[in-house]
Amino acid sequence: MNLSEAMSEGLMVTGTGLIIVFSVLVILMLVMMAMKKIFYKEPKKTVVKEAPKAEAPVPEPVAAEPEPQEDPNLIAVIAAAVAAAMDTPVGNLKIKSYRRVDGNAPAWNKAGLRDVIDSRF
Amino acid sequence: MFQSILEFINSTGVAALIQNAKDSFAAASSGFSSIVAVIGTPLMLIIACALLYLAIVKKFEPLLLLPIAFGMLLSNLPMFSGSSAIMMHPELFTDPQYFVDGHLDMQRIFAEGGLLDMLYLGVKLGIYPPLIFLGIGCMTDFGPLIANPKSIILGAAAQLGVFTTFLGALVLGAVVPGINFGVNEAASIGIIGGADGPTAIYVTKSLAPALLPAIAIAAYSYMALIPVIQPPIMKALTTKKERSIVMEQLRPVSKTEKMLFPIIVTIVVALIVPDAVSLVGMLMLGNLIKESGVAERLSKVAQNGLMNVITIFLGITVGATAKAETFLTAETLGIVVLGLIAFCFSTAGGLVLGKIMCKLTGGKINPLIGSAGVSAVPMAARVSQMVGQKENPSNFLLMHAMGPNVAGVIGSAVAAGVFLSMFAK
Repeated sequence: MNLSEAMSEGLMVTGTGLIIVFSVLVILMLVMMAMKKIFYKEPKKTVVKEAPKAEAPVPEPVAAEPEPQEDPNLIAVIAAAVAAAMDTPVGNLKIKSYRRVDGNAPAWNKAGLRDVIDSRF
Repeated sequence: MFQSILEFINSTGVAALIQNAKDSFAAASSGFSSIVAVIGTPLMLIIACALLYLAIVKKFEPLLLLPIAFGMLLSNLPMFSGSSAIMMHPELFTDPQYFVDGHLDMQRIFAEGGLLDMLYLGVKLGIYPPLIFLGIGCMTDFGPLIANPKSIILGAAAQLGVFTTFLGALVLGAVVPGINFGVNEAASIGIIGGADGPTAIYVTKSLAPALLPAIAIAAYSYMALIPVIQPPIMKALTTKKERSIVMEQLRPVSKTEKMLFPIIVTIVVALIVPDAVSLVGMLMLGNLIKESGVAERLSKVAQNGLMNVITIFLGITVGATAKAETFLTAETLGIVVLGLIAFCFSTAGGLVLGKIMCKLTGGKINPLIGSAGVSAVPMAARVSQMVGQKENPSNFLLMHAMGPNVAGVIGSAVAAGVFLSMFAK
C-alpha cells in the first residue's frame, strides 16, 4: 500500500467509523431523553431544597456544660469514633461531656466528603 | 551412568538455550534477525522481569500486568523445539502454515498443546473479553449517564483517537520500511485509543493476532499512565475559567429507567452494529443483573469470582503469545508510539467536544468531563475530578465525569464493532 492509498483508505474508514459511532450514541441519547419524558417526574420544590447535610458529632474532651438530656447511644457512638480515631481501646477513654459544634465547618465538611468519595472509587 | 548424566545435561534448559540460538542463528537471513536469534530469549526474559517490576513495585495495573509478564516469562523459557514441556505454541494460532482450510487446526492444538494453549482458546474464540464485560457491567452504574444524556456524545468524541490512530498506523506502514501495517493491523492498533483492554484484545485476536501481546501491553500500560498522560492535555486545551465551572446537580434516576437502559441499548446497538453485540450485550446483561436486584448472587459472582478467574486466564495467555521473533520487531515500537498518540487524540477529542458543548449550553458544562470519555473506568473520571478540583476546590466533577466515562465503554465497543464489520472475514 503506498502513501496516497493509505491516506484515502484511512480517511474513508475514519469518516464512516466516526459517523457510525456518533449516530449510535446520538440515538441512545434520544432514547434516554424520551425515557426521561416518560418515567421522570419533577420532585416537588420543597423536597429538593431539603438536601440532608451530614454533620459529624465532634467530641470535645474539655467541653463546657453537659447536655441536659444525655443519650447513652450517642455517647457510645462518640466513644467508639474517638477510640477508632485514636487507635486505643474504649476502656481507656472517659467521656466527661460533649456538645454539638454549631455552624458549618465547610473546610472539614469538604475534606470529609472528598475522603468518602475517594474511598469509594 | 556417565551416559545418563550426559543425556540429562543435554535435556536441560541451558542446553536448549544454546542449541536454539545456534539453530536460529544459522537460519537467520539478515543481520538484525541474527541478533534477535541469539539474544532474543534472554532479552524477552529481561523484558518479562522488567514488566513484573513495573507491576509489583510501581503498581502499574498489577492485576493484569503481573499475569501478562509472568505469561511472557513462561513462554520464553528456553525449550527444545517439539518438547512436550512447552506450555504455549503461538504459531498454531497465528501462522497460516499450521492452519487447515484457513481455520485453526483444533485437533493438533488439542493433541500437542500445553496448558497455556488450552487457556488461550478462550482468547482466540472470543470468550474472555465478553465475560470480563459481564463483570464490568455488574460494577457499572449508568445512573449519571441516564441523568445527563448529552454526556454520551462526549463518549463518542473520545473515539476520535481510535480512528485517527488507524489512519496514522496506515500511513506509518506505508512510509516506514520494515513496518507492515495493513488495515487489520491499523484497526487493532487504533482501538488502543478506546482505552479499554478487553475491547482491544477482542479486536486484535480477530484482525491481527500476531500483534496481540504488544497491543495488550501498550493498552494496559497507558491505561495505568492516564493520570500522567491526561492532565497536561486537559490544561493545554481548556482555560482556567472553563476548568472552574461548577455543574448543576444530577437529577435522581428511577429504578425503571436504570433497568430499561441496558435492554434498550442492547437492542439499539444490535440493530446498527451487530458485531458489537457480544461485547455490549454482555456488558448490559451484567448491568441488568445488578440493577434488577433480583439476582444478587449472580451479580456478586460475575464481578468477583468469575471476573478474577478470567483476568488470570486472559493475562497469562496474552503474555504468553509474546515470543522473541514476533515481539522484538519494529512493529512493536510502532505500536508503543501509536498507542500513546491514540490516547492523546482520544483525550483531545473529548475535550474539544466538551468545549463546544460548554459554549452551546452557555457555560453549563465543564469541558474537563470530556476527557473522561476515554473509557478507562473510573481512572479517567477521577482525573477530571482531580484537575477540576485544583482550579476550584469546592467543585465535584466526579459524578458528572462518570457519564462520559461509561459512555466511552459503549463508544469503544461500538468502534470495535465497526472495525470488525469492516475487516473481519
